[in-house]
Parts: sequence; C-alpha cells; structure tokens
Amino acid sequence: MSTIAQSIGGEAVTTKLAMRMEDSLQAFAVRAACFIGELDVPFSEEFDGHDFGATHIIAYVGDEPAGALRVRWFQSFAMPERLAVIQRFRGHNVGALLLDRCRALAESRGCNMLYVQVLPSDLKYWEKQGWRRLVAEEGSGNPKRIIAMVKAVDPNKPLPDVEAPEAVVLHRESQLDSTGIPRGTVSN
Amino acid sequence: MVELISGRTACEPAVTIKLASTSDELLQCFALRAAVFMGEQACPYWEEFDGNDYAASHVIMYVDGEPAGCMRLRWFQSFCKFERCVVLRRYRGLGIHHAINSWCKQFARRKGFTKVYLHLQTRHMPMMEKEGFRRVDDKVFKFSDHEYYAIYCDLEADESAVDLASDPMVVNRPEDRLEVEGILEKSGQRGASNPHAPYISRLAN
Repeated sequence: MSTIAQSIGGEAVTTKLAMRMEDSLQAFAVRAACFIGELDVPFSEEFDGHDFGATHIIAYVGDEPAGALRVRWFQSFAMPERLAVIQRFRGHNVGALLLDRCRALAESRGCNMLYVQVLPSDLKYWEKQGWRRLVAEEGSGNPKRIIAMVKAVDPNKPLPDVEAPEAVVLHRESQLDSTGIPRGTVSN
Repeated sequence: MVELISGRTACEPAVTIKLASTSDELLQCFALRAAVFMGEQACPYWEEFDGNDYAASHVIMYVDGEPAGCMRLRWFQSFCKFERCVVLRRYRGLGIHHAINSWCKQFARRKGFTKVYLHLQTRHMPMMEKEGFRRVDDKVFKFSDHEYYAIYCDLEADESAVDLASDPMVVNRPEDRLEVEGILEKSGQRGASNPHAPYISRLAN
C-alpha cells in the first residue's frame, strides 16, 4: 500500500466508523458533494436504498469531514463503494486510508475478500493499490462498463479461487420495500 | 397551497413543492445543500451545517419526482429569513427558483409574516430584483468565501393568516396544509379519555 497521509496542512487525518446520526449525515454530505454536486448523479441513484444496511467510514482532516466510504457486507465478501473525497483534500491518499480502514474492519469480522466495482477510467488507481480484476481481461469497448475487482483482506493469504461470475454479485439486492424514493436507474 | 404543481404539457417538468416533514425529506434537503455548497462552491461542512438546521423549516422541491431544490427558512419576530436556497445544477435554467421563492413567500404569509429577509450572493442581485427584493442598505459583507447583500421583500398581509383568533385546531395542522383537516382533528373523535389519569380515577369519572 502506498504511504498514507497522517496530516494535511498540519491537521491530523483520522477515520472513524459512523456510529451516530450526525456521523451518517456527514458521510452523506461528503457523498452528495462529490457525486451529486460534482458528477451530477441523480439523488435517487446516489441514495439508492442501501444506506441503512451498510457501514459508513468517514475521514476527517482536523474536524472537517473530508472523505467517506460505504461498505456493504455479503456472505463471501465485503463491498466498499461510494468512495468520495472532497475536492480540496484530494492527492493525499485519503481514499487509500478509508479503504485500509475498511480492510481492517473486514479482517476483524473474519472476512477474507474485498470486492469493488470500478469504471475503466479508475482501473489504474485500484490496480496500484493491489486490486485485480475478478474476471480476466475482457473487451473494453464501453467506457461506462463496470469492472469487478477483488483484493485479499490479508495480503499474506492469497484469495481462494473465486467462482462467482461478475453478473451474479452485481445487481441482485433488490429494493423490495422501496416506495418513497424512485428506484435508481443504474443497471450495471 | 398544499403543493404547487406545474407542467401542463408533456415536455414541461412537473414541479412539486412541500414542507420537508419527514427525516427522508430533510435528508434530501441536506444532500442537495451539500451537493451545491460543499460540492460546487467548496464550502466547509461546519459552515454549511452551521447549527441552525434543527431550528428551521426546510422546503423541498421535486422535478418529476426527483429532489431538485430546497430552501431553509428561519422565523424571527419581524421577518422570515430565507437561506440555503439551492437548485441542483441539472435543473437550472428552467426558472424553477421562481416556484420555490413564491411558494416560500406564500408559506410565510399564511403564518402571518409580512417581510422576507435574506443574505444574497451579490452576483444574484438582478435575479432577486425580479422577485421583488431590494437592498436593506449599502453594506457588503463576507462569509464563506462570498460577498453578500442583505435584501428584503414586503409581503402583502394575508387576511386569513394564523393569529390568536384562529381555530386552535387549525393552528395544530401541518403548516403547509393549513386548509386541510389534520390528524389531530381526527383524534378528537376519540373523545378525551384522559389517559394520564390513574385507572381508578378514570373509572370513578
């Protein structure tokens, strides 16, 4: 793993798990700033109904919420997603810090695999941090095509062979009870 | 004045505005504010969420069912203060800020207010002049990396606004639907069983 910033501009960089409502709001605010504000993702896709079945990790620079990561838990893997770092705090590996906290949390829960879905444009970022494609090289025509990647929780224990084909794990957790917010249109 | 709905033709967006009255709706407001102020204008979290969010009323605006804009209102003795007005980037240029502005003015009138006050980023002055606002004085002040004017707008007094002479059960209604029977009026049909009283004394009565 690359070196991780311990401070930015003299302010300590820390992470914590969202435990209280205010913590969750901070995570949501960071995500909204990055995904809705910067990337123009619709609200109902960003807040897709999984937020209260997930764990949020927040990164702080001093007191300021600077980054957030959502983790969902499946039987055979943990899934970090919605990784966001506020623009002015980028370039200091805050994202890597959040992912490492996620890794440590997964380890403490006896989980041995992390799984992410990434865009082709972000592939290098993830490869640099030791992730590999779940399914070996495939045709990369569509720049929006999502690529599944995995990483061992314990770097000394290589992953067992993964059987799950990409399609099985992607879009099967339906929002059965969702009525208030329109169902997202992301189809992976 | 329950909901303002426009969109008469198929190509016009359907705009719905309501008081944020559930935690989901409040969260939507917070997310929109974070998107615009933290995401687009680099406002620090603690300045955006400044401690007044739970001393305020939030109004949420939807376009075709999707959260698109919001406003925070705070209530002072002589005026209502409009704050944190946002329209999400993808919904700008449709003129829908008019809709939320006039909805909020109407909302304040129903509560008996005759003045709206707000702090405006100076670049928006032409837009708000069209909404009937004028500067309070010549001062320019700065916070959160922007320059502001204090501006105000007089509202025509609403004859039917809530006051001490209003039916008490009208005062109890959800504030954005004062003309519709509220849940507490329905509860009146149960009578007054005085459930705080010990069981025996209720039997005695």
